Amino acid sequence: MSVVEGKELRIVGFLCNWCSYGGADTAGVSRFKQPTDLRIIRVPCSGRVDPLFVVKALINGADGVLVSGCHPRDCHYSDGNYYARRRLEMLKRFLPFVGIDARRFHYTWVSASEGQRWQQTVTEFTTLIHELGPTPAFPQDQTVLKEVRA
Amino acid sequence: MKTSAYLKKGKEKDLIDALDTKARLQGHVIVPCLDGDTVTFKPAEPGCTPCFSRPAVSPPKGVIYPQSETLFSFKFKKDPEDARRTLIDLNDAIEAPDTIIFGARPCDARGIAIIDRAFSQTDTPDPYYLARREKTTIITLTCPEPSTGCFCTRVGCGPAEKSDSDVMMTEIEDGYLFEALTDKGQAILKNPVLEDGTAHEARAKEVQGAAHERMVKEVGETDTRPVDPELFHSQAFWEKAAERCLGCGACTYLCPTCYCFNITDEQVVDKGERIRSWDACMFHHFTLEASGHNPRAAKALRLKNRIGHKFVYYGEKYDGIIACSGCGRCIRGCPVSMEISSIVAALKEGTKT
Amino acid sequence: MNIEKLKEIVRTVLPSVDVVIGYKKGLDALHPVPCFVTSPDEIDALVLNPACTHNLAAYLPSLKKKTAVVVKGCESRTVVQLVQEGLIKRENVVVIGVPCQGVLSARKVLNAINHQPVVEAAFENDAVIVKTRKAETRLALNDVASDKCLTCQYPTPVLSDHLAGEQVESKVDEQAAYQDIRQFDAQSLEERRAYWLKEFDRCIRCYACRNACPMCVCRESCIAETRDPHWMSQKATLNEKMMFHMIHAIHLAGRCTECGECERACPMGIPVAKLKKKINMEMKELFGYEPGISIDDKPPMYTFKVEEEKIEEHKIR
Ligand code: SF4
Ligand code: SF4
Ligand code: SF4
Ligand code: SF4
Repeated sequence: MSVVEGKELRIVGFLCNWCSYGGADTAGVSRFKQPTDLRIIRVPCSGRVDPLFVVKALINGADGVLVSGCHPRDCHYSDGNYYARRRLEMLKRFLPFVGIDARRFHYTWVSASEGQRWQQTVTEFTTLIHELGPTPAFPQDQTVLKEVRA
Repeated sequence: MKTSAYLKKGKEKDLIDALDTKARLQGHVIVPCLDGDTVTFKPAEPGCTPCFSRPAVSPPKGVIYPQSETLFSFKFKKDPEDARRTLIDLNDAIEAPDTIIFGARPCDARGIAIIDRAFSQTDTPDPYYLARREKTTIITLTCPEPSTGCFCTRVGCGPAEKSDSDVMMTEIEDGYLFEALTDKGQAILKNPVLEDGTAHEARAKEVQGAAHERMVKEVGETDTRPVDPELFHSQAFWEKAAERCLGCGACTYLCPTCYCFNITDEQVVDKGERIRSWDACMFHHFTLEASGHNPRAAKALRLKNRIGHKFVYYGEKYDGIIACSGCGRCIRGCPVSMEISSIVAALKEGTKT
Repeated sequence: MNIEKLKEIVRTVLPSVDVVIGYKKGLDALHPVPCFVTSPDEIDALVLNPACTHNLAAYLPSLKKKTAVVVKGCESRTVVQLVQEGLIKRENVVVIGVPCQGVLSARKVLNAINHQPVVEAAFENDAVIVKTRKAETRLALNDVASDKCLTCQYPTPVLSDHLAGEQVESKVDEQAAYQDIRQFDAQSLEERRAYWLKEFDRCIRCYACRNACPMCVCRESCIAETRDPHWMSQKATLNEKMMFHMIHAIHLAGRCTECGECERACPMGIPVAKLKKKINMEMKELFGYEPGISIDDKPPMYTFKVEEEKIEEHKIR
């Protein structure tokens, strides 16, 4: 059961294998109540998250995207999350330029033991996405844009 | 039966609107419109600004032969009778609404005639193309003046060429004369917005003649000389000619006669579609084989194919016809101003570029 | 832009290289074209004027020869960036720098003369006089200059082995370099979205922008086209067009030298360089980094700091 009221939305989560995925697992094992809108994709490291993964999800209908990795200094591969931080910060600042609400994309750090922090992050993010509502779709048909021209 | 009709200047929009309500579904009268400072063919919608004073950057070929189209779509589902079996829902309906291209140029219409052969004069005529072709009426505007790069009369087309259109529309002093050239054209002339045109026929003929003369004076008569075979097969010639080419798709995608396509399947979980989309012989991927080998890896070879297809191979297949309408779009649209006209002239002369 | 000086330099340089890339007369006075000089008798055909817009450095990565290249300020940054990323070798290029007062946007000129065919053009210090069959028009260079030139910080090449002309100072102070981007950012989210959807709607996915871009080095392996990896379909739909432009912009993060070629090359007149300029503005703010200034720099996306002074942790709200 979702803890957030209303229709379930599509939120994609990219979680690193070593910390955040473990954190999500800890939250689950501890039976913390969490919203169910999130669809988790496990990646080896937050450094594996190409900013274009996020963009592709947002353009093609995701209502929110959450990326989470190990805290700085804790990366399993020592510096993957440092690269991720630069790329994702660049993306966060770029998205609004093309009219995508930057609030729909959040990146953060959660360790394997932080079940509580994970629960908070997911709940807060999901609540925010519900407030924002479904993402305005990017037309997938070829006809001229009525919406824009009107 | 009316064979010609007249429209006063300033009433273009009225006619477009009147035709729009006639087209089976609205939004199927396609007009060259200003979009920013670019002219492209678009459905005539409220708020669009038709622009006839210069040729559109891209041709209207997409109306009949869209840049991408779904040939069919499918969805897998469980057989309710037998859970072990999967059934397929297939949708292969072809949509082909009545469509009018309003304000094409003769080179645009010629382009469609050139593509027609490829999709109809074959053992497997193409139902998708032909269904739309059948439903499309082409209203062509006599070109008021040549643009940079135009060379239509050199390839047997011309600013007042009528053979590929349904209606010819010619701008005269205070209005336009419309001439029906086919049955589809006749139907257009019945539109009540149009007046009788008899009184203006003579003047229109003069304007058409003058437009043709002027073009011939500027770029020359039809050049029937064959290309020099030795030069055509000279690697050095093509390497020099292609030196600055960037290998993009602007020339082919803007060309009214290019018709090469690719077919790709897209599937997500339990549903998918087969897509046909334009392809371009100037792209490296065009001839890339599954083995990884590419018989046309060099841009010189790709340029040879583009020009060869239009000026040699197409004619070998279809009666010596040139598959270029001389519209000049590939020249104007090319980021490095590659001039197909001068490359072909050099090939015919037998000289190096 | 001193053509005599340039020819003189080319004459001295030519014996020591395989090819010199410069400009020659082209389609019309607004469209000179790149030319590849390999013998002294071709030197006289060289031209140099504000209509010479192409970034000739774009040819460098694919030419496996010793090459001399004519570059203006922004394009010299391209050479620097290419060397910096190891895409070309410094010892294989001779850089012929041309201090620049700004180049034309052919599109702006054509708009100003109602798209009449150009018969002739003459260039003065701050104006261009364009002759058509019907009229002669004098246009102030500032009114018809490429957008990139209006905020250019480096009109004199940042790297050159030979300089054809006197140094030119930037006319725009540093604060104003990103004023156009700030203005665009001042619009609402909906306005920005509508703007780009309308622009991208026109895109025909011809990839002229990508192929003209000197820093787009994936070439044949661009993920907008490959099936493996399979990033996008070949559908000509808005989401796919948008995706393609996001690929170009994001792959250029911290690498774009603002030469404006992508935008100039686009036959549909889509202002795609703006996307990259926005990212550059953020790169400068976040990391104090400008692409193509020093060969020894590292692009900001290829490196990191353990403590990032400018990146703060984001709150969800
Ligand atoms: S090849 Fe060029 S000039 Fe010929 S029809 Fe195509 S676009 Fe026009
Ligand atoms: S548009 Fe020009 S640069 Fe692009 S492939 Fe065609 S000829 Fe080459
Ligand atoms: S993205 Fe555009 S402005 Fe930047 S380097 Fe490439 S072509 Fe030049
Ligand atoms: S050059 Fe223009 S039309 Fe072609 S792909 Fe780039 S943005 Fe699209």
